[in-house]
Amino acid sequence: MSLLNYTVYRLAQGFITFLGAFLLIFLFVRLLPGDPARLIAGPEALEEDIQRIRAHLGLDRPLYEQFITYMASLLRGDLGTSIKYGTPVLEEILARLPYTLALAFVAEALAVSVAVPLGVLAALKPRSLVSQLVSVLAVVGASLPVFWTGLMLIFIFSVELRLLPSSGAESPKHIILPSATLAFFLVGNLARITRAAVMESLSSNHVVTARAKGLSFNKILVRHVLRNSLIPILTVASVQLGALLGGAVVTETVFAWPGIGSLLIDSLFFRDYPLAQGVIMFTVGAFILINIVTDILYALVDPRVREILWKAA
Amino acid sequence: MSELLKVEALKVYYRLPQGVVRAVDEVSFSLERGEVLGIAGESGSGKSTLAMALAGLLRPPAVIESGRIIFDGLDLTKLGEGEWRKLRGRRIAVIFQDPGTYLNPVYTSGFQVAEVYEAHRGGRASRYVELVKDLYRKVKMADPERRVHSYPHQMSGGMKQRVLISMAIAEKPDLIIADEPTSALDVTIQAEIVELLKELKSETGSSIIFITHDLALLLEIADRIMIMYAGKMAELGRSSEIRDNPLHPYTRGLLSVLKPERKQKLASIPGSIPSLIDPPKGCRFHPRCPMAMPECSRVEPRTVKVNGRTVSCLLYEG
Amino acid sequence: MTKRIKEAKRKRLLEVWEAFKANKVALAALCIVAIVIILTPIGSRIAPHDPYDFNLARARQPPSGEHVLGTDELGRDILSRLLVGAKYTVGISVVSIVIGASLGTLLGLISGYKGGLWDSLIQRVNDVLLAFPTILLAIALVAFKGPGVSSLILAIAVSSMPVYVRLVRAAVLQVVVEDYVAAAKLLGLSSWRIMLRHVLPNVMSPVIVQATYHMGLAILIASALGFLGLGVPPPTPEWGSMIGTGKVYLFSAPHIVVFPGLFISVTIIAFNVLGDGLRDALDPRARAMLRRF
Repeated sequence: MSLLNYTVYRLAQGFITFLGAFLLIFLFVRLLPGDPARLIAGPEALEEDIQRIRAHLGLDRPLYEQFITYMASLLRGDLGTSIKYGTPVLEEILARLPYTLALAFVAEALAVSVAVPLGVLAALKPRSLVSQLVSVLAVVGASLPVFWTGLMLIFIFSVELRLLPSSGAESPKHIILPSATLAFFLVGNLARITRAAVMESLSSNHVVTARAKGLSFNKILVRHVLRNSLIPILTVASVQLGALLGGAVVTETVFAWPGIGSLLIDSLFFRDYPLAQGVIMFTVGAFILINIVTDILYALVDPRVREILWKAA
Repeated sequence: MSELLKVEALKVYYRLPQGVVRAVDEVSFSLERGEVLGIAGESGSGKSTLAMALAGLLRPPAVIESGRIIFDGLDLTKLGEGEWRKLRGRRIAVIFQDPGTYLNPVYTSGFQVAEVYEAHRGGRASRYVELVKDLYRKVKMADPERRVHSYPHQMSGGMKQRVLISMAIAEKPDLIIADEPTSALDVTIQAEIVELLKELKSETGSSIIFITHDLALLLEIADRIMIMYAGKMAELGRSSEIRDNPLHPYTRGLLSVLKPERKQKLASIPGSIPSLIDPPKGCRFHPRCPMAMPECSRVEPRTVKVNGRTVSCLLYEG
Repeated sequence: MTKRIKEAKRKRLLEVWEAFKANKVALAALCIVAIVIILTPIGSRIAPHDPYDFNLARARQPPSGEHVLGTDELGRDILSRLLVGAKYTVGISVVSIVIGASLGTLLGLISGYKGGLWDSLIQRVNDVLLAFPTILLAIALVAFKGPGVSSLILAIAVSSMPVYVRLVRAAVLQVVVEDYVAAAKLLGLSSWRIMLRHVLPNVMSPVIVQATYHMGLAILIASALGFLGLGVPPPTPEWGSMIGTGKVYLFSAPHIVVFPGLFISVTIIAFNVLGDGLRDALDPRARAMLRRF
């Protein structure tokens, strides 16, 4: 029952944040210097063309009227119509969504399956080579820009070794390089967090109790160390996943991966302004939703968090 | 009575970069079956380290430097982790000081107690719910039916200590080591827990090593008492002997703190426990000792028997 | 009295420096950061060639004595372009983070110290900004304002700001309950004086550490936008856009992509390592731990 209450409360809260994000984008576009209509029309456009585009986008009407019209259609699930494709924006997004979801989940799964064992090993042997590797990977992985590591992977595996395809999404093999690129970016940080969380659990008193009971090493590790380390690991992994849904823009572009990120970049180059705004709003919505799911997951993992969160709701 | 535990010249050291901390230094004693041995000392006297050594729960940088711990014919200092695992929880149990942190916050209390059965009898922990409820009734937990499903943060300090005690007595162990089991609790709960431990002792027949800084409490419940100072044993004797006729000046100091009529004059022993990395030469207590003699700062006292009692002080040598 | 305070401050700085100096990796990172920052004003003076001088006859040459890092697709000297490009990639990042951190700190101070309506207003806006993935917010801002240096600075500054608001607000809420702040209030000092004199100095350490990390992030964003063609327009030798325009030659002349990438990566690594080093040196708890063991 409280889980339901909490979920409803968080969804309502998230909806308000989403409206705020919409208002923000709305105001940015209209109040800051720079004219989207002129941007869409291009540098050589005639003044009357610009006026026409402005009217088409509704930018010539008063601010509040624009806002209400926009809001109304947004609430109907209508994100507008793409200039380039002439189709509803939502349709374009939903066509690309599976690719973005696939890339994000494969990349995160790859990162978790490498980082967690690495972090646990490093925590069990803090002075070992593995632990030093984690430290180096944490800094280097998060520092190398994905567009560069992506290109380097293409150079090695597509150009030199001719093992893997470098762009497109025609076969399952195509997902390997882009997801590896993203996973490399994520893995170090996740491993470092895992190591810290596991080391903290390892040194906590309840592990001494578990040993005093005569529990086996494996049971202590799984129940009393890993389970308690889950919250920080889960936090980081889900924040990463949320960022991937919107932030894989660069990687998708490098590998011509037909997801939402490359749709956004395409729309910007074609000056397809309703499409761009739609993609951005959609991504923000997804990001907010992921954060809510994360909080609900904490609640399921930690009874203390559960009580605090439900009280708040 | 037969002998359950014999500790011989045990040394437990912490090897730190700054030097070696001699937390337990040449301590010897024995324990009969069904006996309650109290160990008293200030914090830093090495009593908790001794407790962890007896339960095989020392963690680096703490190591057993030398000495033997003979438990029912078995030298515990030579056991591997696998053999320890079979012993801990079943034949040797520990009750810890701060019940809050010694319970895992993400599991129900009942599950955590049931894990003791799971570890030694096999099967899933959930099979043992009824046994845990019985234990909760034994430790006088209010509302045991509900409490097995409670999480630690939903319980009071006294309840949590009862959970830890349930774990300790679950398999009716030969030896229970209680390391300051009451000091994190408020006074009324302390009395209840002590009362409970007394009852359980006569019921299970376990030997108990009761570690505390509270000498008054030990005088009440222990058969024999060992006084520790700075990693060394100062004195060991029957409770009545310690109370009525303390031999070591340190013991006298501790007792004088307890006697209300003298509280004004001798509120406590002046000074504090010395660094165990670089302990005072000779007798470790001599800088604080009201009866110190010149040779106390040079000669380290041996452990001697005086009328069947054990003491380490130059007053009783020669 | 003031002399004593100054003395104490000097001593603390010295302590921090001693702790920092002991960390050799962080020291090396500091050197790299210093070099990169010095490059921003003097890069164009020490560049061996004109970074804009193109000559298709010498296009895509691998590294040689004349062109140490080779030439790009238009025959321009890559080393010269990288040296001059520091002005854009690193310069933009420094300016953005200074703006973002100052603005965020100011808002955080107001939010934490004033409370009430100010606090809830700032917090709501902040929540909204935090609801954007960082790079998406930057892309959105640049996209709707058109590419260019000022859009880029705005984008990075705004997307880095929320972290400072949150950080400083939390720190202020801890500090305002302290006795000396209450004492300053009793003395009748104005809120601004109290904030600037008593609260701000206490929240500076985490802000500086965060800003150092953010420098790495800013370079990442600036170069990513450059790579996507949304940053500083060509032919400006911004590091990311050098990779963006050079990527089609990955098969025939990989050095066009490799060297700018190395410059970006090493710079970001240096800022991140420096951030770690500063954090450890500034955190008195970490320092005390080091002394103990």
